Amino acid sequence: MTEPAPGSAEPVLRVADLHVRFGGRRGVAHVVRGISYDVHAGETLAIVGESGSGKSVSTLSLLGLVPQPPAQVSGEVRFGGRNLLDSSEREWRRVRGNDLAMIFQDPMTSLNPVLTVGRQLTEGPELHLGLSEADARARAVDFLGRVGIPSPERRMDAYPHQLSGGMRQRVMIAIGLACDPQVLIADEPTTALDVTIQAQIVELISHLQDELGTAVIWITHDLGVVAGVADRVLVMYAGQFVEEATVDDLYADPRHPYTHGLLGSLPVLGVDRPDQLVAIAGLPPDPTDLPSGCAFHPRCPYQLDERCADEIPPLRDIGQGHATRTFYEVPDAAEETAS
Amino acid sequence: MVLLGVSVLVFAIVHLVPGDPIQVALGTRFDPATYEALRERAGFNQPLPVQYVQWLTGALTGDLGVSFRSGQPVMTTILGRLPATLTLAFAALLVALVIALPVGIISAVRRGSVVDYTSTVFSQLGVSIPDFWMGILFILLFSLTLGWLPPSGYTPLTEDPLGWLSRLAMPAVTVGVVSGSVLTRFVRSSMLEALGQDYTRTARSKGLAQRVVVNRHVLKNALIPFVTVAGLQLAVLLGGVVIVEIVFAWPGLGQLALTAVERRDYPVLQGTVLLLALTTVLINLAVDLAYAFLDPRIRY
Repeated sequence: MTEPAPGSAEPVLRVADLHVRFGGRRGVAHVVRGISYDVHAGETLAIVGESGSGKSVSTLSLLGLVPQPPAQVSGEVRFGGRNLLDSSEREWRRVRGNDLAMIFQDPMTSLNPVLTVGRQLTEGPELHLGLSEADARARAVDFLGRVGIPSPERRMDAYPHQLSGGMRQRVMIAIGLACDPQVLIADEPTTALDVTIQAQIVELISHLQDELGTAVIWITHDLGVVAGVADRVLVMYAGQFVEEATVDDLYADPRHPYTHGLLGSLPVLGVDRPDQLVAIAGLPPDPTDLPSGCAFHPRCPYQLDERCADEIPPLRDIGQGHATRTFYEVPDAAEETAS
Repeated sequence: MVLLGVSVLVFAIVHLVPGDPIQVALGTRFDPATYEALRERAGFNQPLPVQYVQWLTGALTGDLGVSFRSGQPVMTTILGRLPATLTLAFAALLVALVIALPVGIISAVRRGSVVDYTSTVFSQLGVSIPDFWMGILFILLFSLTLGWLPPSGYTPLTEDPLGWLSRLAMPAVTVGVVSGSVLTRFVRSSMLEALGQDYTRTARSKGLAQRVVVNRHVLKNALIPFVTVAGLQLAVLLGGVVIVEIVFAWPGLGQLALTAVERRDYPVLQGTVLLLALTTVLINLAVDLAYAFLDPRIRY
């Protein structure tokens, strides 16, 4: 906690120059390439990117859950005055589930099929809060109620297969929040669910976050999901952040060609023109064989600068907390139509 | 249903085997009149389907016929051999589990470690070394060289507990090492699968210690498929340790069946095979019941 972020309170969690590499037969995959961000108390940060952009791995490494080897994690994850990446396994365990908690994408497979919901909920509080079995149970029932599970007392003895997907994800959320973590990492918690349930889960997390004052890092590939809840959005591509902005700014004025493409690929209600739903051509790059220069340049529709293929553009601050990593800023939509 | 099918198969195969049991039994004292008389007494002059129905009706009432050789009722003969077989099978299974569970679990948890490689090498050896040869080596070492254990034979537990144990040790370890090697590989792979599941990652993300993650979250899931394989191994042990029984002069069902084949003692052979089929069916039933106990998703 040596250098507080300018103009704001001290961040709860500070990630600085985080790298994750995987050594494999096909060479080293550089999956996360030097990302940095701060998480402040109670805020919602969204990390958006396609599958394979490194967003999940980067957050798993915040909890020390990326197995090393084969992975190699370097950089800084500063929490509670120390760099977690230097911690022993024992110190990690005190942080996991207690200060930093995580909920995962698929509630069908993320809960243990042979343990009751109650058992899976009480083990965290018993371990981290030192609660007795009875107190942990009472707390678990309370949290099941908070996440909107009807007759929570009865559900304690249910097994995961007896619950629907939405209910299971609610149980996961209860597990994640049961020890009052300072930061909750939500790794695509709505992806495996029906659209109607998705909205409920987003709403629920956002509501509990206000109630408990937890900061949330939302990992998603779906910009639509985070539009209503995130304060800031980080757009990730090939292991780097390519754009960072407040959610309104990002939607109104995306500057990076990739962000532009992502927003263009969102369906818009009321617009009856399917031809306007634009896909980004090509595939995300192979992390063992990244393109030279800007990682996005082979798929970029603009490529207007001669440096695109040779130099990695720096993440440039363009004011009001908006930063982008490109040589060619896509002009404002309003300006574009005016010209 | 399965048993009915087995009974037809057993009966058909036994009767298809070339060789005439009565001729074998009479040997050099062959005389056509006696031969015909014996054939009639055994019912061999009747058509096969009739013989089958007679045998099956008898079997259903617990009468498996009379041994051609000894003249004893087959049921009595089999029941006399049963304790020795059960003892060896369960003792061997115990040895197998004592090896397979800890070694398999540690190999999976410390994948790629020295323990893992060592256990892989030894379980490969255990699977590839013929059991009778291992048995002979044991006899050479423990009976002839060291003189610690009697080389062969069987003493009932009720007569002499110590003698029972000392005679059981070598055959049980011989058979147990072989099936323990198979089971170790299985425990390892089934543990590795459970360790890679999302729920294991969830358990880790809660900050649980590795020991708790393995004992509470991984093991119970990994044991579900393991129970099936262990049950199959038990079925194999009950019926398939013929050669080891012979090496150690162990008076079990395997030995009985082998002698029955040599002597074309149809009733004994049929009875033994039918009984082993029955045990396999019962073990499968027990495995299914164990599933319901281990896996909350299954309820009967």
